[in-house]
Amino acid sequence: MKSLVIFILAIVFIGCTKEHQFDARELHLISPEKIAGLDPIHASDRYSGLEVGKVYEGLFEFHPLKRPYELMPNLAEALPQVAKDGLTYTFKIKEGVLFHDSPAFPEGKGRELEARDFIYSFKRLADPKLSAKGWWLFDGKVKGLNEWREKSSKEETTDYSAEIEGFKVTGKYTFQIKLVKPYPQFLYALAMPYSYVVAQEAVTHFGPEFLNHPVGTGPFILPKYEQSNKIVYTKNPNFRVKFYPSEGEEGDEKLGLLSDAGKKIPLVDRITVYVIVESQPKWLGFQKAKFDVIELDETQADQALTEERVIKPEFRNLGMRLVSSPQIDISFFAFNNEDKIFKDVRVRQAMSLAYDRKEANKLFQKGTGVIAQSIIPPGLAGYESEFKNPYVAFDVEQAKKLLSEAGYPEGKGFPEVTVQTRNETIARHQIEFFAKCMEKIGIKVQVGMNTWPELINKVSKKQHQMYTMAWGADYPDAENFLGLVYCPNKAPGSNGSNYCNPEVDKMFEEAVILQDGEERTAKYKALNEKIALEVPWIFGFHRTKFSLTQAWVKNYKFMEFNHNQAQYLNVDFEVKKELRKKF
Amino acid sequence: MKENSLWKDAFIRLTKDKWALASLIIVVVYSLVAILSACGFIAADWAQEVGASNLAPNAEHIFGTDIFGRSVFQKVVRGTQVAMSVGLATSLIAIPIGVVLGAVGGYFGGWVDDFITWLYTTFSSIPNIMLLISITMILGKGLFAVYVALGATSWVTLCRLIRGEVMKHKEREYVQAASAIGGGHTRKLFKHILPNVTHIVIINTSLQFQVAIKSEVILSYLGLGVQGEPSWGTMIDDAKLELARGVWWQLAGATLAMFIIVLAFNILGDALRDSLDPKLKGK
Amino acid sequence: MTNYIIRRLLYLIPVLLGVSFLIFLLFNVVAGDPTAVLLGKNATARQMEELREQLGLNKPLFMQYLDVVKSAFTFDFGRSWATKQEITYMLKQGAYPSLTLTIPAFVISTVLSLFISLFVAYYRGKGIDLFIRFLCIAGMSVSALAYILGFQWLFAYKLGWFEISGFEYGFPEFLPYIALPAIIWIILSLGPDVRFFRTVILDEIYQDYVRTARAKGLGEMTILLKHVLRNAMIPIITYTVIQIPFLILGALLLENFFGIPGIGGMTLNALNNSDFPVIKAMAILSSVVYIIFSLVSDILYTIADPRVKLK
Repeated sequence: MKSLVIFILAIVFIGCTKEHQFDARELHLISPEKIAGLDPIHASDRYSGLEVGKVYEGLFEFHPLKRPYELMPNLAEALPQVAKDGLTYTFKIKEGVLFHDSPAFPEGKGRELEARDFIYSFKRLADPKLSAKGWWLFDGKVKGLNEWREKSSKEETTDYSAEIEGFKVTGKYTFQIKLVKPYPQFLYALAMPYSYVVAQEAVTHFGPEFLNHPVGTGPFILPKYEQSNKIVYTKNPNFRVKFYPSEGEEGDEKLGLLSDAGKKIPLVDRITVYVIVESQPKWLGFQKAKFDVIELDETQADQALTEERVIKPEFRNLGMRLVSSPQIDISFFAFNNEDKIFKDVRVRQAMSLAYDRKEANKLFQKGTGVIAQSIIPPGLAGYESEFKNPYVAFDVEQAKKLLSEAGYPEGKGFPEVTVQTRNETIARHQIEFFAKCMEKIGIKVQVGMNTWPELINKVSKKQHQMYTMAWGADYPDAENFLGLVYCPNKAPGSNGSNYCNPEVDKMFEEAVILQDGEERTAKYKALNEKIALEVPWIFGFHRTKFSLTQAWVKNYKFMEFNHNQAQYLNVDFEVKKELRKKF
Repeated sequence: MKENSLWKDAFIRLTKDKWALASLIIVVVYSLVAILSACGFIAADWAQEVGASNLAPNAEHIFGTDIFGRSVFQKVVRGTQVAMSVGLATSLIAIPIGVVLGAVGGYFGGWVDDFITWLYTTFSSIPNIMLLISITMILGKGLFAVYVALGATSWVTLCRLIRGEVMKHKEREYVQAASAIGGGHTRKLFKHILPNVTHIVIINTSLQFQVAIKSEVILSYLGLGVQGEPSWGTMIDDAKLELARGVWWQLAGATLAMFIIVLAFNILGDALRDSLDPKLKGK
Repeated sequence: MTNYIIRRLLYLIPVLLGVSFLIFLLFNVVAGDPTAVLLGKNATARQMEELREQLGLNKPLFMQYLDVVKSAFTFDFGRSWATKQEITYMLKQGAYPSLTLTIPAFVISTVLSLFISLFVAYYRGKGIDLFIRFLCIAGMSVSALAYILGFQWLFAYKLGWFEISGFEYGFPEFLPYIALPAIIWIILSLGPDVRFFRTVILDEIYQDYVRTARAKGLGEMTILLKHVLRNAMIPIITYTVIQIPFLILGALLLENFFGIPGIGGMTLNALNNSDFPVIKAMAILSSVVYIIFSLVSDILYTIADPRVKLK
């Protein structure tokens, strides 16, 4: 009887399964993380950045096709003029750019974007009342900004009208920024979602609800963010004239990435973003053509791809395409270098030698990861593909020898080590494997699972022996990685391994103030090699990102930094109609 | 004595029930497996690689192997130890708290009772998941934290039941008679009242035991479970990644092992209730 | 009666004090500092200090506790630390999906259990009774997580009967989304429900009045439906009503796995992010609902059975 009733229920419900829309220029995308809101100054992770980037824009963006990443003007008319001292930047912005229509403006009509809007938006990052996640971009870099922040933190309300030496509006469409010290990464900072431009009227009008009422200049509009699991954007009818690029990387033409060259963007009328956290539903839904693009995690990759990491025939036959691209990132096991047991470089080297990266690569990524020799990932100036770190080789004998030289023959007297990680199944597996490797040299390793805040807290309070994590680039400059072992950044800063070495610090300081060029690259390389031998972490992998797109999706190229990607995507709905029968 | 015959009666009735008897045997077998595993007689080398990664069940490895080539069967056996210990430890924490608070509250009444009622109302009105997560956060992760977290949330039901039962017995003649002879409170509570509520403890424990085993799975899913040792929870959690790859045997092995013992406890609990206290109505 | 209700409602005060104290103790005092996670991976020590000041974490503990108590009694929960959203709005947003899942699942499972219990009580001791009870108990002996993983893969993906995950607002759009989680919910609750209802019904069957009725020559079915059920209704109603508060909290695992943007998922997120204001709001809300429904259950008890006096 019970099963009968369930059966009847099931029949009733099946009848209700909705037909999928196949005939509109509409994209169905996935966000694997919950989206808190759409305020640019809090868009710290890639996924909230992607949402913010549909509605808002910044001065610059990265070229959607060219690799290595190339900065190009977006709201700016051109790249800025930089004075000889490298401290004064002069910007000119595009004329005639309109904000989205919003009740925040008189008569609900979006007004024209002006230079002062940028200054206002940058000040918001510094506003102590807002505790913006992107403050670090400007912290200590702009003349007078830290002082303004300091002053404002003592006041009841933040005074945005106060003059700041470093920010000067010089005309309706021009402004100047004065830096405290050379900061060659500054332009990258201006391409990040944090520094996207907002309108003061909107912020004032919506007050604390501003994060649910995004008012930008971007290609798509979202009148209200409903905090549901579905976000629906529509094309911005007043979007300025902007064209799809007509040149790209070699091979892009063959991949069909240039077929829309010169067309007016955005190319689709609607975008629906589904927020789905669990892995299984994402993958199952993609196979049912509910979603157009999926970035595969390791499990999904195992199902979609063969052992050789090419797309399985059953998916290729549906027209699905595999896009694989190396990520600019590094996974690692960090030591707490303040723990006396890890002060001895031989211990760190021994553990690094005992870690079987080849096997780990095979087990967890089917051999698609690039074994990290040091800290700088491929794709950035300073990476050397031919450089081999002697302590990254897998050599248990050498590891044992080093460990016994350090005073722990066969691991005797070595305390049990707990490696902290996030409470995810895959992370647990990775540490279990690490433990198996360390057992071979007599070191016992335990898994420590943590919720995200717990892990962050343990690292920032130095309450860990080791932890494992991955670091993804914020912008395409090795400084973003080298800074992870720079002493002044130690906990609670981004140097969670608390590694301190005056030589490394000196080399770092000398290199990062240089403009991009041969001299800097040489310095980066030297520093990278130095860090490799010091083994402040056990370097893991530079991972490869696999994405699948449906046959009807055009112009998809994996983009690490470009949060404006959606406007370049297109849907061929003739193909979609045709293929619909197969799903 | 009154109690003795009750227990004897109950036991005879229980053994007559084939289902209950079978369940009892299952529980005993699982306990034995757990003890043997804890002492290192079986499944001690669960961490050894016995074959290739993710082998499907075959003649050699009846439950197949996991991602590291470890025997899933060995892990299931080892997981039995974790599961049984979770059930046991949870009961060992919950029973003393529940019984003492319930008995004291029910017996003394007045402000003591008010306080205890307030305490368990407070506890039961907060969602369990919050208590579980916060306790594991505070104690750090691991088996011990799981014990304490589950113990701290499962005393409430028992306390309420005991309190009600003690209140009833307090008014009964034999207790009143004991008062007349001049027995002290402690004596009355321990000698006369508590033996008469033991059956509640037993029934409740047999049901709580399986709840604890099931909760371990949820904690594992949330990343708060046992670490460095296989448990059914972590094995089922692994299936999250494995199932879609066609690796179903870890899920099947752990689910099956869990299904049998949980079912046994459920049937046993029902049978115990029927034989010990037909009037308890399964609360 | 009125007196009793007022007194019981006043009881909310000590319970809310207790709840806020416990939650404050567990999440604010012992669990530690949320600022690192709130500021992201590039946070500076100075910024963390500022944020602590802003969130009021530098105030004396007693003052912080007073704030918790204040929000418990004013129901003003403020904004979430992690999402910066207004909590009342988050609750409103999450309640709809949660309730569309839990209410139908709860109603169906309760009604279904009642029918099954009557059925097995009628055939008590026979093979069919044993078999159905076994099925129900077997159903609840499998881990919820195993059901979710297995069913989603089999019914939603392989057979394509339901939506795999997600949610649509509005009837009947939400049906294919909530059907599968609802079925899992029903399977999991049939066991305990049937077991309880059956015991209650059997308890009544052995009462004197049933014997009298039988002696009068009434049919077994009539007795069961007319007399037994009416009397058994009292514990059944109590048992059912007391479960309602848990419906409001949503189904944590189910929501998370099936992508339903409900309160359960929201709570889990808050717990994972040390989002104290949301945790606090959920705890306070749930205890208020809990107290109110235990009161409702007690009142229903007296209405159903006038012999019981509330005191």
